[in-house]
Amino acid sequence: MKNKGVGKKKSKRNMNLLTPYVMVTPAMCFLIIFTLYPMINLIYLSFFTFKLARPDLKTWVGLLNYKFLLFVKEDFVIALKNTAVYTVAVVFFLILFAVLFAMWLEKDTKLNSFAQRAIFTPHLVAMISCGMIWSWIMDEKGLFNAVLSFFQLPGLRWLNSSATAMISIVIVSVWKSLGYYTLIVISALKSIPTEIFEAAELDNTNGFRKFFKITIPMLSPQLFFLLIVITINSFKVFDTVRTMTGGGPGNSTNVISYYIYHYVFNNNQMGIATSAGVVLMGILMIMTIFYFKAVGKKVYYQ
Amino acid sequence: MGDIVFKGINKSFGNTKVIEDLNLTIKDGEFTVLVGASGCGKTTLLRMIAGIGPATSGELLINGENITDIPPGKRDIAMVFQNYAIYPTMSVRGNIEFGLKNNKVPKKERNRLIAEISEIVGLTPYLDRKPSALSGGQRQRVALARAMVKKPSVFLMDEPLSNLDAKLRVAMRSELIELHNQLKTTFVYVTHDQVEAMSMADTIILMDHGKIQQHASPEIIYNDPNNIFTAQFIGTPPMNIIPLNEGIKLGFRPEKIKLSREITNSKFQRKCHLITREMLGSETLYKAILENETIMIKSLEAEFRMGEDVYISIEDTDLYFFAADGNRIRKGDVPDYNKLLKMVGGSWNEE
Repeated sequence: MKNKGVGKKKSKRNMNLLTPYVMVTPAMCFLIIFTLYPMINLIYLSFFTFKLARPDLKTWVGLLNYKFLLFVKEDFVIALKNTAVYTVAVVFFLILFAVLFAMWLEKDTKLNSFAQRAIFTPHLVAMISCGMIWSWIMDEKGLFNAVLSFFQLPGLRWLNSSATAMISIVIVSVWKSLGYYTLIVISALKSIPTEIFEAAELDNTNGFRKFFKITIPMLSPQLFFLLIVITINSFKVFDTVRTMTGGGPGNSTNVISYYIYHYVFNNNQMGIATSAGVVLMGILMIMTIFYFKAVGKKVYYQ
Repeated sequence: MGDIVFKGINKSFGNTKVIEDLNLTIKDGEFTVLVGASGCGKTTLLRMIAGIGPATSGELLINGENITDIPPGKRDIAMVFQNYAIYPTMSVRGNIEFGLKNNKVPKKERNRLIAEISEIVGLTPYLDRKPSALSGGQRQRVALARAMVKKPSVFLMDEPLSNLDAKLRVAMRSELIELHNQLKTTFVYVTHDQVEAMSMADTIILMDHGKIQQHASPEIIYNDPNNIFTAQFIGTPPMNIIPLNEGIKLGFRPEKIKLSREITNSKFQRKCHLITREMLGSETLYKAILENETIMIKSLEAEFRMGEDVYISIEDTDLYFFAADGNRIRKGDVPDYNKLLKMVGGSWNEE
């Protein structure tokens, strides 16, 4: 009798110990199937060479793919550089303009609410449509050059010149997501208590110091979030390049994601593509850790 | 610094007029308390002095000089906000130092001032903490230190104690009185709490719906109210108001009532019926029915019970008369003040 009682208690305790694991199982299943497995499989596949249609005929080559990427072929390093340039430019301009626009549009007026909607609209349009429209606007006989020639200025070759193609892509990317990030900054601005600015006025604070010593620190959690999200999104940019330049002219707008796509569907070299994917993942991981370690400390949380 | 003078001040928010044609002088060096229910315009006045909520029209003078166009930072004033409004991203030191840095005070002088002020308010051990790691009372002190370190000629305080617990509030109250005694600068203090107003002020400005009801010392406000609003706002429980004939009303304070079981030879005497009794310790609060009117009685004697019939008596000097419009009728205001006294004596005295 006594032993039975103890056994019952024990099994109940085991139940209690198991409960949390049972609870998280569904979420863990999703994570394993859709995140963990593809990740590990990607790393595994990067040690082989094979064709997309025949994954069964793969040959083990060890680190040869990586050697190819980083030391033999030049195009990957170019893609890496392009991605870095693109990311730095997009992160800088997006955050700068998002803060400036947010400060401009913060006040609730009819004009501001219209302007807010207007700059948000591109976010709702499919990238493929945006690509089409901007390809026309930036065509050598397109809208921009028409405007330039109206003012008697020489036209630019925009997407057709390796000198201006990357900056053109950056312009489109910033234009497309500016409204979304501005919205985030506006809501953050509005949540700063007005008394703090009034106290600053009483403390004889000039506009410059008010912005850098109060506004920016108060926005820091949102700006940090923007920094990470925009960096990751920029590293993975694909659709803009695919629809507007196809990585050209030359390799001037070839970025990592497009490079991977190109090696899968055009060159059919899965080994190169998967190892490039691993490098991309590694860079993003390092970047994120770096951000949290270096920048995260300066972020103020309420 | 000189007196602060409001001349014909109007203020409206959108279409709502909050303050209409207000004239007021706040004396230099005094502890002035603006008191009134929420929405009476007291904070609006304070923000005008600070320069962060300008008047719609009218003039604001300090020391005879129109300061309407002077920015808040150049007015030589400091303000303590209701929710403190300390900069959450800066340390305690950073908060206190911010205004000094803006005013280009040299570093040596800054450190000296910070050390001095943080010693006074007891923040020295917390200088490097962030405000989020401080208690409510400590945050309050940061706000106070930030104001004090600027050595302003005018201190503005917008309900600075309302977020503190009762015990701390009482302690801070006497600390502020002490601070004013030391600094001898002008304090303008906004509160909705009449106890705070009475205990701290040199001068009370009682406001209602954007109008000044009475502007006087606490003693005068309590003993010689201008109107029914003042009489009922100050004092706990508020003054009893009993309607007489011809719209005239009689007022008397609950704490001035004498209770007895037998008739005494007092002139104003009335029988009433006790309906509740609250023993508060040193005092006892009774609610009573007097000729269909409910009155409150505050007495040192706790021996009377619920349901008892008792006699109340009040001295002539503790009886107040008010006209139909709510304004006070004082002794010199009417030709025959004794007629009023007789009126209550005659019609109220049963014997």
